[in-house]
Amino acid sequence: MRTAIDKTMQNQLVAIAAQLDVLEKGLSQHFPRREPTVRAARRLNGASGILSMSVLADSGIEHYRGSFENKAMFTPLVMSALSLAVSAHGTADSRPDAHRIRDAVYAAAALTGVVGTGFHVYNVLKRPGRLSWQNLFYGAPLGAPMAILLSGLLGVYSERLRDDRGASPTVFGLPAGRTLAALTGAGLLGTAGEAGLLHFRGAYHNPFMYAPVTIPPVAAGLLGAAAAGFSGRTRWLTRWWLRLTALLGFAGAGFHAYGVSRNMGGWRNWRQTVLNGPPLPAPPSFTGLALAGLAALGLLEDHTDA
Amino acid sequence: MSDDPLLSPRAKAGRAPDVFAPGGWIPMHAYREDEAVDFVIVGTGAGGGTLACKLAEAGFSVVAMDAGPYFRPLEDFASDESEQTKLYWTDDRIVDGENPLQMGSNNSGKAVGGSTVHFAMVSLRFRPEWFRSRTLLGYGADWPLDWREMWRYYAKVEQALKIAGPVTYPWGPPRPRYPYRAHEMNAAALALARGCEAMGIGWTETPLATLSAPRGRAHPCVYRGFCTTGCSTNAKQSALVTWIPRAIAAGAEIRDLAMVGRVEVNDAGRATGVHYHREGGWRFQKARNVVVAGYAIETPRLLLNSATSRFPDGLANSSGLVGKNLMAQSNQAVWGISKDEIRSYKGPPSLAITEHWNYDDNKDFFGGYSYMSQGPLPQLWANTQMSARGLWGDSLMAEMERYNHVVGLKIVGEMLPQESNRVTLADAKDQYGLPIARITYSWSENDRALIDHSLRFMARALEAIDAREIWTQDDDTCHLNGTARMGGDPRTSVVDADCRSWDIRNLWICDGSVFPTVGGVNPSLTIQAIACRTGDRIKALAALGDL
Amino acid sequence: MPDRFPGYDVLSKRWTPSWNQKTREVINRRLALTNEPRYLTAEEFALVTVIAARIVPQPGHRPPVPVAALIDHQLDRDQGDGYRHAGMPPLQEAWRQGLRALNAEAQAAHEAPFDQLRTADQDALLTQMQEGKLKDAAWGGMSSATFFKQRLAHDIVHAYYAHPTAWNEIGWGGPASPRGYVRMDANERDPWEAAEVKDGDVEAARRKNRHVG
Ligand SMILES: Cc1cc2nc3c(=O)[nH]c(=O)nc-3n(C[C@H](O)[C@H](O)[C@H](O)COP(=O)(O)OP(=O)(O)OC[C@H]3O[C@@H](n4cnc5c(N)ncnc54)[C@H](O)[C@@H]3O)c2cc1C
Ligand code: SF4
Repeated sequence: MRTAIDKTMQNQLVAIAAQLDVLEKGLSQHFPRREPTVRAARRLNGASGILSMSVLADSGIEHYRGSFENKAMFTPLVMSALSLAVSAHGTADSRPDAHRIRDAVYAAAALTGVVGTGFHVYNVLKRPGRLSWQNLFYGAPLGAPMAILLSGLLGVYSERLRDDRGASPTVFGLPAGRTLAALTGAGLLGTAGEAGLLHFRGAYHNPFMYAPVTIPPVAAGLLGAAAAGFSGRTRWLTRWWLRLTALLGFAGAGFHAYGVSRNMGGWRNWRQTVLNGPPLPAPPSFTGLALAGLAALGLLEDHTDA
Repeated sequence: MSDDPLLSPRAKAGRAPDVFAPGGWIPMHAYREDEAVDFVIVGTGAGGGTLACKLAEAGFSVVAMDAGPYFRPLEDFASDESEQTKLYWTDDRIVDGENPLQMGSNNSGKAVGGSTVHFAMVSLRFRPEWFRSRTLLGYGADWPLDWREMWRYYAKVEQALKIAGPVTYPWGPPRPRYPYRAHEMNAAALALARGCEAMGIGWTETPLATLSAPRGRAHPCVYRGFCTTGCSTNAKQSALVTWIPRAIAAGAEIRDLAMVGRVEVNDAGRATGVHYHREGGWRFQKARNVVVAGYAIETPRLLLNSATSRFPDGLANSSGLVGKNLMAQSNQAVWGISKDEIRSYKGPPSLAITEHWNYDDNKDFFGGYSYMSQGPLPQLWANTQMSARGLWGDSLMAEMERYNHVVGLKIVGEMLPQESNRVTLADAKDQYGLPIARITYSWSENDRALIDHSLRFMARALEAIDAREIWTQDDDTCHLNGTARMGGDPRTSVVDADCRSWDIRNLWICDGSVFPTVGGVNPSLTIQAIACRTGDRIKALAALGDL
Repeated sequence: MPDRFPGYDVLSKRWTPSWNQKTREVINRRLALTNEPRYLTAEEFALVTVIAARIVPQPGHRPPVPVAALIDHQLDRDQGDGYRHAGMPPLQEAWRQGLRALNAEAQAAHEAPFDQLRTADQDALLTQMQEGKLKDAAWGGMSSATFFKQRLAHDIVHAYYAHPTAWNEIGWGGPASPRGYVRMDANERDPWEAAEVKDGDVEAARRKNRHVG
């Protein structure tokens, strides 16, 4: 039984990998070589969009669990929906200039992440036990609002890239490719941290639960190396590892769907199991971040001094 | 043939019910009655079920019998208090003394898996000093066991049951991390935590034998709150879904609806097997060793009912202690009304605990207690209002409307052993024609002092979280232990440290009866640890040719 | 008494994942019990009905929980608790004897059978029973206080709270398997739980309760 599942899982992974490859090739054909910066910016819009989608679904489910007790709990839904919309717009937009509305939405999304973190910290600290494992596991998730912060940041970043008219792109005066690599690396680490916390809560009862705490940190390390300007020799490895991480995001959602079915009543009892089982929309954040990492690599390749 | 597990046995003809699949079966070894098996075990609960697994895995031939049915929880358990009384030992018993015990649903199970099928899953270790309470703390009796050895066996049982507990446990010597993480606390548990913080004492999530993540074919807990009426999801790690399937896989045979009426002893003073009632008639199973594991009432009753001319006072009773030193645990509670909706019916009843008063020796009485959050279901709650508070009529109805706002704390308190608290045989007979048990129980001064202390303290803890209309329930007890205590001296104990009776060397007693003292924590983890140790000891003794 | 959980009906969950097949069977059987005696005599049955109306009084605006029928069913199946106090006869005998003794006490005090007394007198007698003050020879060695606490009120309370109507009244979630509960903190309610009237807003609670399922 288990091995049969593993097999189908494996086949699906291979299939998804092939598709990703096609997608990437297709994208690069789509983006003419002469506008590498815009291409990177559009990729970032895409990455931000995937993250927003994950946030939209995740905060939707989690705040539904919290019965939208506080009206502010609608904010991340609205913001991630907007961010998703402008990301779609940005991904399709090959004009070289930043877009005022996109820019504003992204900035607001990032701000939502910061404020949300504040709310979640407050929620945890007012429970008995304060920063105890119990509250880290079951209180408002401290790391969750970071995802919308990241999606906003990636978006803001993409708009700055479009603004940039220099030979080698900079953002806020810093070399764009490297900063972006560092930012996504940090994002991957944080997200892996959150997966680690929740998988610890699940006592790593399934060996696959180790994947998100091993693969993304390695990707983060490789991105860090890229950011630090180590020569491009390991870049193929970084690229492939990021693709693996992107795949992991999809595969994770699949595993989580299986996890939901493993709860009492399975999918028929979805009103409970979707909430109490593993969070379906969480793993795709890895995909979003990995795509942003790939964009950073692209920038570094096109402009060695980026 | 009926498939009602209460009417006809399921485990027979080479197969037993698969507890993880509705209507499912697993293959099971079948032993002949006229060929002696290595071990016949009477009772398949925390003690007997665990030992059956250990002995079968050690390669012994094992037949384990239980008077109760063999359930498949997924298909047999309803979400209903009345229906689920089918899990309890409801054969007739008589209670007397100054503080007669409540039996039945309050403490005794009758099913394959024993009382663990409906227990509340609280899985605690003894405080190390309790194993030498006479020497170190000045009361009760010393155990012939060393706490360090018990610590190792506790860890094994915690692993075997995938206990879900806190990442670090605040009391006692270090213990390995619990295999599964603690469950989410419900409002009742958070209330306990707030109260403890207000009183300046520690609290933690209760280590529970119910899954917080999937395990094999068992689902994680769904927080339905029917735990003490049977877990229909298999999240609860009862003997029925843990030790028993393992025992069967290792070659043991389980016989359900098999009531043992008498242990047979030959002229040489050795046990030769058991007489048991199954499918309408009395039968006999030959065995080289007999293990009695029927819990602290049925174990002494069976030993007393098995008296012969050679053992006129019952088996294993040269000390005269069989049936004596029965110990319940005090189970008093403080209740109040919260302005918040607590809805304590959600989730396992006791998700948070404090063991503060088990480890603080600054008290004017012996022994300790823990207290836990509570989640009574409606029938139990209504009856508590009626019996402990005397409410009926309009006042009962009005009180019941506030069910969702009730918040309560309840102790598991140590009661001291007294020889006058005991199990004897009554004149009345049960449906098999066997004399029923008479259970005599009175609290000691020390028991009362402990109860008073706990009620005062818990009332303050509830006041501290602004609960209103606080009242105390002072009549309840839980758990049963003693009645065949272990010890180092045949004159003052019934069995030795290996649960082997002093008088009849191939007769063993392996359940809650062997406790010399009870401590202030729920007993079943200790019962299972002792059973694991006994299994290892029997294996070692067999290797030495010493059985 | 105003309804605390307006419109809440635990039976609306019967076909949701909150109820498994076994639960449906068990509750259906209970709901199908007819209000006529099987074990008790007609007079005893009527007497139990009158006593139950004092122990668990029911409002007139809904079909009553058939407490006497539930008790009769329990007696018919001889479903005891697994213990009795010394001096207490087994289940069936205890009920018969207790009912007889109560009527004897009513006769002695008011020269009428219990069910003909004014409710205030009935309550007074029941209170005396609860306090162990009834000692007529008809008790036959059974303590009236023990009979009240361990048998009469015990069984009546259990019977009443075995019924979905009683669950509605107290806002309990009812059967819960395979679906249990998700929202665990104070004041958190799963959409399949009863909503209580808050700040006098009956309609808001009723609206939520209509969607319980
Ligand atoms: C409501 C409730 C909640 C509890 N909660 C907890 C808790 O949270 N934590 C905890 O540690 N403990 C708890 N307990 C106590 C715990 O269940 C018992 O201490 C433990 O199961 C006792 O183990 P045992 O092996 O001695 O007996 P049991 O588990 O009771 O097993 C005895 C078995 O022997 C069978 N038997 C007896 N006599 C015969 C015979 N003559 N022939 C054939 N079979 C026979 C019985 O049918 C029964 O199945 C609880 C108990 C109850 C009732
Ligand atoms: S609350 Fe958990 S352990 Fe208790 S009965 Fe429900 S699923 Fe089983």
